Amino acid sequence: MTTLVLPSNREEGWRWSDLSQLPKLAQRQPTGVAPDDFQWIGTEREGPRLVFVDGQLDAARSQVGPLAIGPVDVTASDHPLGALAGRSGWKLKLGRDHAPHGLVQIVHVSTGAADHLAAEVELDVDAQASIVETYVGDGWANRLTGMRLFKGARLMLSRRLIGSSGFVSLTDRAEIGEGASLIVATLAAGGADTRLDGRCEIRGEGAYAEAAAALLARGRQRHDANLAIRHDVARGMSRQVWRSVADDLSACSVAARVEVARHAQKTDGEQSLKGLLLARSATINAKPELEIFADDVKCAHGATVGELDRHALFYLQSRGIDPEEARALLTRVFVADALDRIGEEAVRTAFYADVENWFGQSQAWVVPSEVEGRVR
Amino acid sequence: MLKIINLHASVDEKPILKGISLAIRPGEIHAIMGPNGSGKSTLSYVLAGRPGYEVTEGSMTLDGEDLLELEPHERSARGLFLGFQYPVEIPGVSNVQFLRTAVNAQRRARGEAELSAGEFLRVAREQAGALGFDMDMMKRGVNVGFSGGEKKRNEMVQMGIIDPRLAVLDETDSGLDIDALRVVGEGINRIMRKPDKAVLLITHYQRLLDLVRPDFVHVLAGGRIVRSGGADLALELEREGYGEMAA
Repeated sequence: MTTLVLPSNREEGWRWSDLSQLPKLAQRQPTGVAPDDFQWIGTEREGPRLVFVDGQLDAARSQVGPLAIGPVDVTASDHPLGALAGRSGWKLKLGRDHAPHGLVQIVHVSTGAADHLAAEVELDVDAQASIVETYVGDGWANRLTGMRLFKGARLMLSRRLIGSSGFVSLTDRAEIGEGASLIVATLAAGGADTRLDGRCEIRGEGAYAEAAAALLARGRQRHDANLAIRHDVARGMSRQVWRSVADDLSACSVAARVEVARHAQKTDGEQSLKGLLLARSATINAKPELEIFADDVKCAHGATVGELDRHALFYLQSRGIDPEEARALLTRVFVADALDRIGEEAVRTAFYADVENWFGQSQAWVVPSEVEGRVR
Repeated sequence: MLKIINLHASVDEKPILKGISLAIRPGEIHAIMGPNGSGKSTLSYVLAGRPGYEVTEGSMTLDGEDLLELEPHERSARGLFLGFQYPVEIPGVSNVQFLRTAVNAQRRARGEAELSAGEFLRVAREQAGALGFDMDMMKRGVNVGFSGGEKKRNEMVQMGIIDPRLAVLDETDSGLDIDALRVVGEGINRIMRKPDKAVLLITHYQRLLDLVRPDFVHVLAGGRIVRSGGADLALELEREGYGEMAA
């Protein structure tokens, strides 16, 4: 049995983290009971599907297709959670000009304990894929994903974290080649705490990297994200769109960084970090960072935290919309900046449905005696 | 239909309305006129239930039901519509999405079947067309990028789609050019001048009352109704100003 060594809040990259439930989850035994509904997204062309229950492939309920299960070439020895994920898991390797037949869907079910899994996505020249990962359950799902995109390759990775409780930690390592495009869209709309870590390196000219995320938190939930995009070559473009929504006593924290190397001229990088407090007892931390060594770049960052517009709320209510629905409508608009980045309509629709569900569950989370500052 | 008795209201603990009594029966159009700061908009917000507008004394009922016991959305579902003096912009929410959500929320509250997308669009097209409001604007964010006149016209389109029983229209004529004023005036008559409906029209000027002839005109000054009369009272005010009434 390995000892769980976790970082402390004294380390800058973990200052807003709350990993206190991880030791307990790591010691628990999984129930192994998977739900009947895996939240598959219906698409015109059904693609490969993988189901992992507590990190183990459920072969009977999977259609592996062009994916493979086994050793993967990804490491994150410098990352305390990523290093736990090991070096085996699922792999999608596509040759030149190849694409899977339809949407790749991967469901991770975590049944009460800790499970660790690695993954590797490698797209050769002009290959393309769209992957949706869905996280459900109430354990600790710890994942490490390596992504390598060669010239002109395109990857859309959409993740939805809709587990009822527990913890999801995702560590990404990405390298993007010339003219390639990587978009990672994440929705946290369940009851689990999260830690999202990423390091994305733009290594080919004209490459594009985008991270879009909507983090919804309530109760005493914690979402904590830390992403760095590094521009190593000229003419790269990156976009980061973070939308945090915090209710009750919850907290969302985002540290987003853009690094531009000395020779990465003509870089175009943008960060937009916005937070919405649904209650004044909630917390949102936003830390955009730019580190620029080149002198001919266009980089912008913005960070705002606010409440729902009271005038808009009253306007909606004056037309017959009840306060909860009005809040949901305005919040949905707030996170749309991030979720609209998802290209496929069926996926986008499913993610919006998750947002609606999150509001549908809101009553269960309200702590009336503690939440006096709720925006009405 | 609407009965207001000795209504007192404060904003930030400052008394604004100081004893208003008013009764509006079905089929009637009442105009409220008065100088700036007399409490006209406060009256409209108090009726609609805007947070921050506190009723300190008196009562107001709609069809015998105590409005003070109802939340703003419940008042709307009972048939009360507030036409805003300054309609709010809501980026990201299209007019169509907003109004369909509103109409169906009201229908649900009244125990009626919701409108399908097709049924709603038919009503929306009809009302927008009658008010010369481009359907493309219905697809845009609520009031986003609209001129002042377009916002007011949008309020009337909303009123047409929601089809309320009592409309409280707060300076609907402000910001309108002559042509838009005529369209809005005709819209109010078409939508609201019916035996089972009523209007409380708040305005500064006679010109809207030329198009929407009121049955009663009230002068509000210092938080009280200081004079009431027929349509001729508005003409008198136009000629002579508020003068001593507002003193």
